[in-house]
Order: sequence, then C-alpha cells, then structure tokens
Amino acid sequence: MSTVRAAILLLFAASIAPVARAQAIPYQRPVDTAPQQNTIGGGYKTPPVQKPLPRDAWLQLLDVALLGLATGASVWLVLNRRSRKGLAWLSLGSLAYFGFYRQGCICPIGSIQNVAVALVDPHYSIPMVATAVFFIPLVVALFFGRAFCGGVCPIGAIQDLVVLKPIQTPRRLDRVLGLLKYVYLGLALFFAVRPALGRDFVICRFDPFVGFFRLSGAPHMLMLGAAFLIVGMFVGRPYCRYLCPYAVLLNWCTRLARRGVTITPDKELDCGLCTGSCPFGAIDKMRAVRKDCLYCARCYTSCPVPEVGRTPRSARVPLDPQLGARP
Amino acid sequence: MSNVTRRDLFRGTVLAAMGGGALFLARKANGQVVWQVDASRCINSRLGEAGVEACNLCTTECVVALSAVRAVNEYSRCGRCNICPAYFNITSAVNELGQPSEKLCPRDAIARKPIGKVDPEDPANNFYEYVIDESKCDGCGKCVMKCKEPLGLGSIVLRVRHDRCVNCNRCAISEKCPKDALRQLPVGQALG
Repeated sequence: MSTVRAAILLLFAASIAPVARAQAIPYQRPVDTAPQQNTIGGGYKTPPVQKPLPRDAWLQLLDVALLGLATGASVWLVLNRRSRKGLAWLSLGSLAYFGFYRQGCICPIGSIQNVAVALVDPHYSIPMVATAVFFIPLVVALFFGRAFCGGVCPIGAIQDLVVLKPIQTPRRLDRVLGLLKYVYLGLALFFAVRPALGRDFVICRFDPFVGFFRLSGAPHMLMLGAAFLIVGMFVGRPYCRYLCPYAVLLNWCTRLARRGVTITPDKELDCGLCTGSCPFGAIDKMRAVRKDCLYCARCYTSCPVPEVGRTPRSARVPLDPQLGARP
Repeated sequence: MSNVTRRDLFRGTVLAAMGGGALFLARKANGQVVWQVDASRCINSRLGEAGVEACNLCTTECVVALSAVRAVNEYSRCGRCNICPAYFNITSAVNELGQPSEKLCPRDAIARKPIGKVDPEDPANNFYEYVIDESKCDGCGKCVMKCKEPLGLGSIVLRVRHDRCVNCNRCAISEKCPKDALRQLPVGQALG
C-alpha cells in the first residue's frame, strides 16, 4: 500500500472516528484491486452482470399494430355491428393492455408533444413508433370519427367504467368547458416547443389517470385522478370532453369524416328514446353530433327497434343529408 | 367520379399533409434513446462526495413503484471483501463473529456468500460474493455511497433498468437530480 493511500485512509478513519460507536472496528479496505477469476481460483466464474435491454423493437411494433387493430375493431363494432357489449369488452381489453400493462405509455395524447418538439427542434429525434401512434387515430378519424376514444384510449376506458348516473349537462356549459381543451393544447404546445432546457411535457406530467395504471404516483395526482373519477360518475368522461388536447385534433379530423355514429340511420323512426342515452352530450335534436361522439355505442342499446341495431350494412339507407354531412 | 365533394378534397389534402409530416418525422427518426444514470455525475458514486448522506431522489421521484433505478454490482470491479462496507454498517458494534452487527441496506437486498471453502480457523482470509436482489432494491444509493473510494472499489453503481423504466418524456428523477446525472442517450451508449 502506498504511503499516500495509507495517509488518506488514516485521515478518513480519523474523520469517521467520532461517529463510530465504541465497539466498532476501525475499518480498513481489505483489498486494493478487484480479484479476478484467476486470482480467486477454484474454478470460480465471475457472474455476468444483468443488463436488461429496453423493450424489443418487435414488441414496440406490436404496440403500434395493436393500436391500429383496436381502432379498426372499434370502427367495425360500432358502425357495423352496432354492439355496445362488444365495444365495452374492447375498451376493457385496451384498458388492460395500453393502460395497466403498458402503464399508459406510449399514447397518442402525449405524443402530441413529441411530434411538436420534433417538428421544431432539428436535434430532437422522435422514434417511428411515436410518429405512428400519433397519426393512426387521426387518419381513422378522417374517415370514421373518434373510434380511438371509444374502444382504444385507456384514459377514456377508465372513465367510461365509472359512468353511473350521468346527467345531461347544459349545452352552453358543455361548449364553454369544451374550450378548455384548446387552452390545454395551446399550453402543451407552448411548453413543448421551448428550448430544450425549459421544455416541459405537461400532458404527461398532469395525466390524472396514469398513476392508477402504474399503481404508484404523487398523492396529489392520484387525488386529482380520483376526483375526475368521482365527477365522472355524474358528468360522463370529463377529461375527454373538456381537457383532452388530442380531442381537439380528433374533432377537426372528424368534421371531414365520411361515416360515423348515426341515429335512426335506416328508418325515420325519430321516437326520441335515445336522446337521454348519451352521457356525453353528443346527441342534439335527436341526431348524433359526430365531433363530440365518443364511440361508446350506448345510444344503440336504448333503441326499441332491434333491427336498427343489427341491419347489414348493404341493407341500410344511406345517410340522412340532414345529419350534418355538409360538404 | 362526379360525386366527389369539397369535403373529400379537403380530406385528401389533410391526408397528404399528414403523410408529409410523417415522412419528415421518419427521416429524423434515429434509434431509440433511453434514460441512463451518468455515474461520474451521480452524487452517490462521484468521488469527493464521501460523508454526504446518500441522495435518495432516485427512490422517491421515479414514477414507477419501487424505482426503475437499481444498484448494480459490477462483479469485475468488486473487491469481494470479507467486511464489505456496502453490505455491513461498518460503524455498528462488532458481534461475536468479528463482524459489524448491522447491515447497511435498509431493504436487506444484498446477499453475502463465501467463494469456495471457508477456513473455520480464519474466515477473514476468504473472498465473498455480494449479489444484489433487484426485486428488493429501490435504488436508494446507500451502498453505492459506501462502496466507492476510499472505503471500497466503486463496483456498485446506480443504473436505470430499461425493462422497468417507462421512458417518460421528461424523467421525473432528472427534474430533481441536483447533478443532472440522468441523461437521455442512445441504447448502446454506456455510461460510467
């Protein structure tokens, strides 16, 4: 042992001496170098150090594929089968996979920020998976409406589970509160496109439900999530309708959609029994408001004419021109 | 087709714009980046930070239950000491075996086992292997702080376990880390 090292050790021992209790041994480092396999001998093998790799590329592709498939299944179940039950199962599956298994990551809502940063910052690289996850639900919405919200989004699914006694919120209040999501989207973009040091991914940080998916989280965020769920018992899916920044983009795309949930699509029934069935205020004057429709298929279950729910697509009368299909 | 509406045209335009955006982003895509602990910055493993109470932020700030950061023993650098300062609380009283009576790890995540046969007359003259049970470790860094020079050889370091890390857009630990030791780097790029 070199004298310098001995001196350091002595100094160090002296420095910890006052804290050491009376009977503690004066500690000295027993070895100066790590013994290797051949020094140790006796057939000893240095155990390998586990270096777990991030999720395999194919598993990430699987996530994207499942997102696409689930969105497609959501369209098929709602537009073709008109099945509330099927959709409820699909959303439960999505809640289990994208929510609890994937722990809420990766999701299209949060990917808004990554896409925004990647568009403005030349040094920021965005994984292909994030790009795909951002665009798939929007492309589907361009043709069929917000299918992602109904059957795929885990944040939507967890709120959908607690819709117990939904009240019909006044339309004007609905509209005013709905403006919040534009503000939120604006804030999220503002914080995302700032220079790297001041950048903040607010959508992910203030996601009220991700704590439930991860079964851990800051107490105030868990409480916020619980508050959303309690409010959600009476006001259907409050996060989706009033805060979700991705809903803004889906709204815009849905305005161009060719098809979507329609009420009395086959006959001029107009009994009005479904008017109260929508917990999300997406039925206005006995017609579905596509941009607000969250693809839950509840309105079909309230329909007294069973055939309306189950007519093959070929036998259906084309869209009522009054349904908002304005060019 | 005569019944192409303005809406169809508009939709086509939006689709084309999305495709363009996706292509632009795809050209920028560049491997996967993951959060990693830079051992040369981490207070717990950095030299000259001895005596400071171990920084606990990796345990408390991570969004994953039982932090995604764990202590890892790099066996090739481990001294396999008889009295390991990271295994034993070396300031505790000595017991009848001549060892400190308390362990350092608050979660009892480190196991100590002798390599080869122990001479009953002289148990100190033997190498011991220290294995960290990662299912118990929460990355508090106490052992990391004790293992480094001059007490130990610095074989235990904190690492982000990529199978547990959910790769948050902004790592919650990195926001609080006083030394900015958590960095987002390409998968292959090893640190300290």
